[in-house]
Amino acid sequence: MEIKLTINDESKTVEVEPDDDLATVLRQNGYTGVKCGCDSGVCGASKVFVDDEVKMACGVDAPNADGSEIRTIEALGTQDDLHPIQEAFVDHFAVQCGFCIPGMIIEAESLLADTPDPSEAEVREAIDDNLCRCTGYQKPVEAILDAADRMRGEQSVAADGGSQIRPDQADCTDHDGDTNE
Amino acid sequence: MSDEPTDPQTDGGTASKPTSEEPTEFEEHPLEWDEPENNNKAPGERDSVSQPAEKFDDRKLVTGQAKYTADYEERFPDLAHAAVVRSEVPHGRVTAIDTDEAAAMDGVHAVLTPSSDAVPDAKYTSAGQSYPEPSPWDMNVLNEHVRYVGDPVAAVAAEDADTAAEAVDAIDVEYEEYDHVVDPEAAFDEDAPQLFGEDEVENEIVGHDYDRNRMSNIEGEIGDVDGSLDRDDVHVHETEWETIRQSHAQVEKHTSLAYTDEDDRQVLITSTQVPNHTRRQLAHLFDIPIRDIRVKKPRVGGGFGGKQAMVVEPIPLALSLAADRPVIYEASRDEEFYAMRSRHPMQVRARTAVTDDGRIEAIDLYALSNTGAYGSHGMTVAGNVGSKPMPLYSKVPNARFEADIVHTNTPQTGAMRGYGAPQGTLALEGHLDEVARDLDLDPIEFRQDHYMEVGDLDEIAGMMGGEGAERRIRSCGLDECVERGKEAIGWDDLEQPDEDHLHRGIGMALSAQGTGVAGDELGAAQIMMNEDGSFHLQVGGVDIGTGADTAFIQIAAEVLGCDENDIIVKSSDTDNTPFDYGAYASSTTYISGMAVKKAAEDAKERILDWASRMLDESVENLETRDGEVVSEESGDSVTLEDIGYESVYGHDDREHILGKGTHSTEESPPPFAAQFVDVTVDEETGEFEVNELVVAVDCGVAINPGMAEGQVEGANHMSYEMAVSEGVTVDERGRAEVSDFDEYGLPSATETPPIESILVETHEPTGPFGAKSVAEVPTNTVPPALSNAIREAVGVRINEMPVTAEKIKAALDGN
Repeated sequence: MEIKLTINDESKTVEVEPDDDLATVLRQNGYTGVKCGCDSGVCGASKVFVDDEVKMACGVDAPNADGSEIRTIEALGTQDDLHPIQEAFVDHFAVQCGFCIPGMIIEAESLLADTPDPSEAEVREAIDDNLCRCTGYQKPVEAILDAADRMRGEQSVAADGGSQIRPDQADCTDHDGDTNE
Repeated sequence: MSDEPTDPQTDGGTASKPTSEEPTEFEEHPLEWDEPENNNKAPGERDSVSQPAEKFDDRKLVTGQAKYTADYEERFPDLAHAAVVRSEVPHGRVTAIDTDEAAAMDGVHAVLTPSSDAVPDAKYTSAGQSYPEPSPWDMNVLNEHVRYVGDPVAAVAAEDADTAAEAVDAIDVEYEEYDHVVDPEAAFDEDAPQLFGEDEVENEIVGHDYDRNRMSNIEGEIGDVDGSLDRDDVHVHETEWETIRQSHAQVEKHTSLAYTDEDDRQVLITSTQVPNHTRRQLAHLFDIPIRDIRVKKPRVGGGFGGKQAMVVEPIPLALSLAADRPVIYEASRDEEFYAMRSRHPMQVRARTAVTDDGRIEAIDLYALSNTGAYGSHGMTVAGNVGSKPMPLYSKVPNARFEADIVHTNTPQTGAMRGYGAPQGTLALEGHLDEVARDLDLDPIEFRQDHYMEVGDLDEIAGMMGGEGAERRIRSCGLDECVERGKEAIGWDDLEQPDEDHLHRGIGMALSAQGTGVAGDELGAAQIMMNEDGSFHLQVGGVDIGTGADTAFIQIAAEVLGCDENDIIVKSSDTDNTPFDYGAYASSTTYISGMAVKKAAEDAKERILDWASRMLDESVENLETRDGEVVSEESGDSVTLEDIGYESVYGHDDREHILGKGTHSTEESPPPFAAQFVDVTVDEETGEFEVNELVVAVDCGVAINPGMAEGQVEGANHMSYEMAVSEGVTVDERGRAEVSDFDEYGLPSATETPPIESILVETHEPTGPFGAKSVAEVPTNTVPPALSNAIREAVGVRINEMPVTAEKIKAALDGN
């Protein structure tokens, strides 16, 4: 069956199976920043905005999303022009393997839209269903609090500064010249 | 627990502890390390190392652009999806498999059973270790003799994941069920059901006794422990401890994609920590030359040891060969809990002999390790229960460790961050706390009287055998770790809550780990200079989300005097990067990083040679700095870009500037951690709240302090989970009772206390720019420190993990 979605401000008609979940559909259409860490809408890695509400895309039946407006991590900043939340995650070394990070950043964006000056407890509560195995949440929480400062226009200084290393080399297997890539 | 007497090893293990004056020991393990001058830079002299360089893949990661294995799907239009039929019985033999219906389904490309041609017959171990693996070859890719609920029996490849799942459901397997055993002590009984018959294991491990389900027994001793325990003037304490079956719970599931490339070679894009070991093991299994297999690691969504195993790769490869098309296998989250790997649950007994005045005469540890259905990492993990924590107390003259590693019909265990040290650290650090209390000694001073310091010869690390495993200690920041940790937690000025029923206490624990496997590591790297003065760095080392690639860039940039942006790193592709043992044993920065340093120095030598000719200056006057080679003598300089062009396009002479480095060592210097846990306990209910975790770590020189702190905090979170969560429990049939994250106790953001990480800098002369490991040692310490904190707060001892309100309440009630 076909459904209509607006994904990151682009109207699309996509082919879905009746039992497809939205995360699978988004990934099949190239939005691979949407991650799947569980199979059941509990780990938070697949969080996206569905009509301005944060949902775990793997817990949304794709046919039910017909007509929705979807916003994924791909719609936030770019590598050269990061969103302040992304910037803060980079500056605070809040990213390790990075698998859970897109979902966490989506949730942080939602939090800061509603609560521009959150307490640490509010930040922890917001990302309570974004499971992260690498960081112990310490640095992501610090990053979100700092991002709030940045977004309110208050001078924020990254904890550790940081200089950019080439952004275009993270995908090691892109360099091997395989014909199928 | 075993009460069997233990015989000291005869290979020198019974020698009494030599004094440090013996010259032969110093010849073999000199205190003064022949360290190149440029390896020891004061903080102000470091341009790239110790700086907060941005993690090089971060921008891709935070924008969702980085590619993990599953993200390669879109590049293979004819990709098939795999699914696996797994045993539903804990122990038995497959008597019939009916695949007719599955094979006839539309969209099914291949169905494999143990007898299929594409399925290897060979035995192997999934442990991704060096060769020959110190793990038994006791598994098959698909099994007729099944040993746990989850053992792979058949596999399918289909056009999409749903069809593959339907095909799996359509396969009918009949079993002759055997008796099974779940409890490790029962499994050790002579009458217990036996998991392995004769001829079912190759590459058997020392001390195996499959009649009693024992895959290995190991023991080691220095001095005379029994003699010390029998002395009249000592107090003998004995305590027992128990740890959970912890899941790696990395958020990216095990995922592997196999295809045949245009040159008829077998390629795997796979979420692995061990590309080279995986390549070798696949070659063995499939009887394909090593050269015809290529293993590529893209970004990996966490490993923690769970991917130091060839857990899934043979299945997509076999299916790809059978279906003649690319196949991806992504484990389900359910499979992650019941059919991948977990930390070995253990029971550990600690005994000490301590004199009235608080001298520890002997430490004796015994571990019963439950390795589950197969023996991957069984012996080596158990060995580290003793060989990692016990060396911390190098002043103790007599030490002994023994372990029995036992099979049960439960999920498979394997390597996991800490690698036996968490189990041993719980026992030893909990035990020492109890002894200090009993003898009315300060728990910190009691430890300080016996712990390591620079100059010590650590023999305990070598007591389990292994040539040269004893080591000289050349860096040790324990004192500062303890002092700064005490200050941060408020050790000396703890305020009690106002409510009478609430009690607050601080517990502490120490830990040591290693940095790589002593004498069993290899890393290699090469560097190519481009015309524009940039460099390609090719390195076998494996970044599984740790930031290793960034550390490699920083190390190379420090040597080459260039900007980090001018180094393009390419790692972990067995066709295009040099050999590496992989990401395990806290080795990557130390071993692979040193290989990078050597490669950079090799390239630098050629750069300076060219600069010398271009500037007409002697090499001795030249140094690289800020993208240039500068003469200290004349002040003249030439840019790396000028050298790049001149070296490639020069009129008189031409050379591609290349550097190579390979590194292996007998050294494995310990990093150290001092853990503090602040807890409040309600004496009426047993409920407790951890107010803060403080952990101070000596990792030598942190190559990237922000990333190192992240490692410490993440490890402490994992350690906290070991202290407060149930882990993967199993039912009476050995089936994992956890099938998803909502049933597994991975502490969430609100459930995780604040973690303060403190980096204590020391200089380790054997490591690149003074670095030693960081990522494992803080995994070991929260369970004992929390147990000690509860003991301090309300006077009861919880020695069986996890700590729960029910256990505290029961202990308070005297039950």
